[in-house]
Amino acid sequence: MATATAVVLPDDPKIRGDVTLEDPVGGREALVRGPHDFHSVTELVCAVNEKPILETPNPFKFGIALAAAGAAMFGGYIGYLFWEGPGIWGNNNPVGWAWDIVNFVFWVGIGHAGTLISAILYLFRQKWRTSINRYAEAMTIFAVICAGSCVALHTGRIWMDYYLFPIPNQMGLWPNFRSPLEWDVWAVNTYFLVSTLFWFTGLVPDFATLRDRATVKWRRMFYGALAMGWRGSMRHWVTYEKAYQILAAFSAPLVLSVHTIVSFDFAVSQLPGWHTTIFPPYFVAGAIFSGFAMVNTLMLPAREWLGLKDLVTVRHIENINKIILLTGTMVGYAYAMEFFVAAYSGNDYEGFTFINRMFGPYWWAYWTMVSCNVITPQLFWFRKIRSSPAWTFVLSIFVNIGMWFERFVITVTSLHRDALVSSWDYFVPVTEVFFLLGTFGLFFTLFLLFVRFFPVIAMSEVKSVMPQANPHWEGYGHGAHAHGGGNAQPATAGGH
Amino acid sequence: MSHHDIQKPTDITIPADSLFAKLPMLGGGLAVVGLGATLASAFGENKARAMFSYLWAFEVVLAIALGALGFVLIQHAVRAGWSTVVRRLAETAMVTLPVFIVLFIPIVALGMHELYPWSHHTDAILEKKRWFLSVPFFLGRAALYFAIWSAFAWLLYSASVKQDSTADGSAEQKKLSHTMWKLSAGGIFVYALSQSFQAIDWMMSLQPHWYSTIFGVYFFAASILAFFCFVTLVAMALQKAGVLKDAITTEHFHDLGKFIYGFTVFWTYIAFSQFILIWYANIPEETEFYMVRLQGGWDVVSYALPIAHFFLPFLFLLSRHMKRNRTALAAACVWMLFMHCVDMYWLILPNFGTHGEGHHEAHLAISYLDVTALLGMVGAFLAAYGFFLNKNKVVAINDPRLTESLAHENY
Repeated sequence: MATATAVVLPDDPKIRGDVTLEDPVGGREALVRGPHDFHSVTELVCAVNEKPILETPNPFKFGIALAAAGAAMFGGYIGYLFWEGPGIWGNNNPVGWAWDIVNFVFWVGIGHAGTLISAILYLFRQKWRTSINRYAEAMTIFAVICAGSCVALHTGRIWMDYYLFPIPNQMGLWPNFRSPLEWDVWAVNTYFLVSTLFWFTGLVPDFATLRDRATVKWRRMFYGALAMGWRGSMRHWVTYEKAYQILAAFSAPLVLSVHTIVSFDFAVSQLPGWHTTIFPPYFVAGAIFSGFAMVNTLMLPAREWLGLKDLVTVRHIENINKIILLTGTMVGYAYAMEFFVAAYSGNDYEGFTFINRMFGPYWWAYWTMVSCNVITPQLFWFRKIRSSPAWTFVLSIFVNIGMWFERFVITVTSLHRDALVSSWDYFVPVTEVFFLLGTFGLFFTLFLLFVRFFPVIAMSEVKSVMPQANPHWEGYGHGAHAHGGGNAQPATAGGH
Repeated sequence: MSHHDIQKPTDITIPADSLFAKLPMLGGGLAVVGLGATLASAFGENKARAMFSYLWAFEVVLAIALGALGFVLIQHAVRAGWSTVVRRLAETAMVTLPVFIVLFIPIVALGMHELYPWSHHTDAILEKKRWFLSVPFFLGRAALYFAIWSAFAWLLYSASVKQDSTADGSAEQKKLSHTMWKLSAGGIFVYALSQSFQAIDWMMSLQPHWYSTIFGVYFFAASILAFFCFVTLVAMALQKAGVLKDAITTEHFHDLGKFIYGFTVFWTYIAFSQFILIWYANIPEETEFYMVRLQGGWDVVSYALPIAHFFLPFLFLLSRHMKRNRTALAAACVWMLFMHCVDMYWLILPNFGTHGEGHHEAHLAISYLDVTALLGMVGAFLAAYGFFLNKNKVVAINDPRLTESLAHENY
């Protein structure tokens, strides 16, 4: 095959991953930069987890203290909500759904990128996913926890939430299975369960690595329990690969189904602005879009501070940004199609809703949404921007903001002008900001704990896409002669 | 990863004695007879029926060509490696798109009145839609769609053919790959909009009061699925004719099978989403779409679609062995192409005799005109397909990713 020319990379591992390499066209760019072998990858990833507790770096301590304060505040807020009821929110009539649902949809959407990376990109044989899947899946699980707490709290009488499940009781109360809200309960729970299983399955070999390397007793016991007796035998790997593939196949439809059902919460109604047939695929695209932005938001600082640039390179950032560009434009397509059909339908109520979104009392929310979701991601057409970590970080924050506002626009602006003019109202949040901040506190607490104690990169999977994993690999300096591209910076072609 | 033992295929032109070499003649003959018979009826008292058959056959085949364009755009944009051995087969389907300009003329010249009630009829709702549903604007949009498709099809096809004669490893070869990549990235967006609005203009407006925002996505799902079935069958037939015998392997067929499987599920997802939202909300101007399709024999088709277009292929193709078995995969492709015809028939034909209004009763009645129209349209498409297939190599022989594709294996 046409070999990729050997690329001379700087020795400094701090910038090595930030160097943009030209597309080799014939062949594939190496996914891991620098002179790494299996052992050095293990060292690089485990270093974070193996630092003794007392030597935790100060910035990290500060970060987790801040996040935990937020989580604690969230606990207090839940107590306050429990005591006072949803009257502490600005929800009114007709705006019966507001930040509670906005936060729920926001968080559950974030999760979708992790599932897309771990399931769909796996089925599409996208090997670059191995460097980012672990923390993207962790992000999924923590985001679903936040989403679950938002939706559990929005019911008002939180202590009655068990009625969401079909538990036989003496009052003869039973969930309404024709309600999309009930479908949601099952969709989100299924999602949480499968995502957690998938994540944990992938973690097992890496836990075993940490167990085997442990130098102190608690660490050996902690990782030993999590590794569940993994010895790395051939039989274990065969079972592992099968389980992984089956879980990927289970997760792939979940990428679509969960947010589809979330969209049904709105779209099965007759409310203009909620009821439109494109909602299911449009919500899914938006969820992946927001999730990838959150991956960037979390990943860019992590690769910088944890020294993982050799594993998470500019190529990874570029690929993520391309997905953001694609899904952002899909969301733009849905906005345009909704708007077009509102005009095309000749339906006055549809037409009013969309004009009201743009120029009504919440015009600022609408234009924030369009600017952040459709306009600014277009900057990723430029290679300079999509391969710049700084630009990527800023634009990822924009997307996070835009996607939060999208849910706000859908939920609140569709409701605040209903068919009866006398009941029109304007929603203003009261204490809800603390609700949102609280979920962020919970999310970052969980995420930082994960970073500290679990391997943030799927070591065993990254190793499988390194040239050393190829059966034809003949060691450094030899491969180039026999097999073209087997040197320190080989082209790892798509096939084996 | 090591491709040093991979040889590029040499069986890359159509043998003169194969059926493929005669395809332009055979297809052309079929087109003249089939379309001739259909259009001859369009001058008689069966005019409306003939035009509905014609539009149906047009959309069935256009979907394949548009699916091919979508496929090629995506393959370039994502720099796909596995698909290079079959990409020229798709490019050949895509480059037939300009032919559809000619095939579209009868719809405009003969069928506007018969097909599209909004072109001559009005009511309070249609008055509000006049800004979009007017004949001049309709024609202008059609011209725009054809211009976009033809331009992208031609630019991508000629760049790919040009690459065939470049030297391996040369700067020009690489540059052409980059050109196609860039062209495709932008092309995807123009393609998405044009194919969606085509579906709205030419199919959704048959029932002009009805609207559904997902309709463009529905057409895309049907179209790319039909394309994957078509290209799989072509690849198998070419191998029978002694072309690309070792280049296209079970691994590639397995991948094509996975896409057929995946898009079968995707089509169902989109179709179900549209149905459940309209059924649940139960708003009269939306339910009329399903109302006309739940009576007069159309109900059988409506109930058959989820079974025959989803459950059967879903269970049939679920196993890895079925996707890797050529006979089984070929059977699935033929079945899904048949179901594609049924699906388009279900979208278009209930509007015959009902003036696109939900309160009129529709009757399912298959006509010989459906047969002539479909044979003629397929003939016209295959003639163009055969022409380009014979004209150039059947594989992008100097694509830098060809070796990667030849060595491709599923794990």
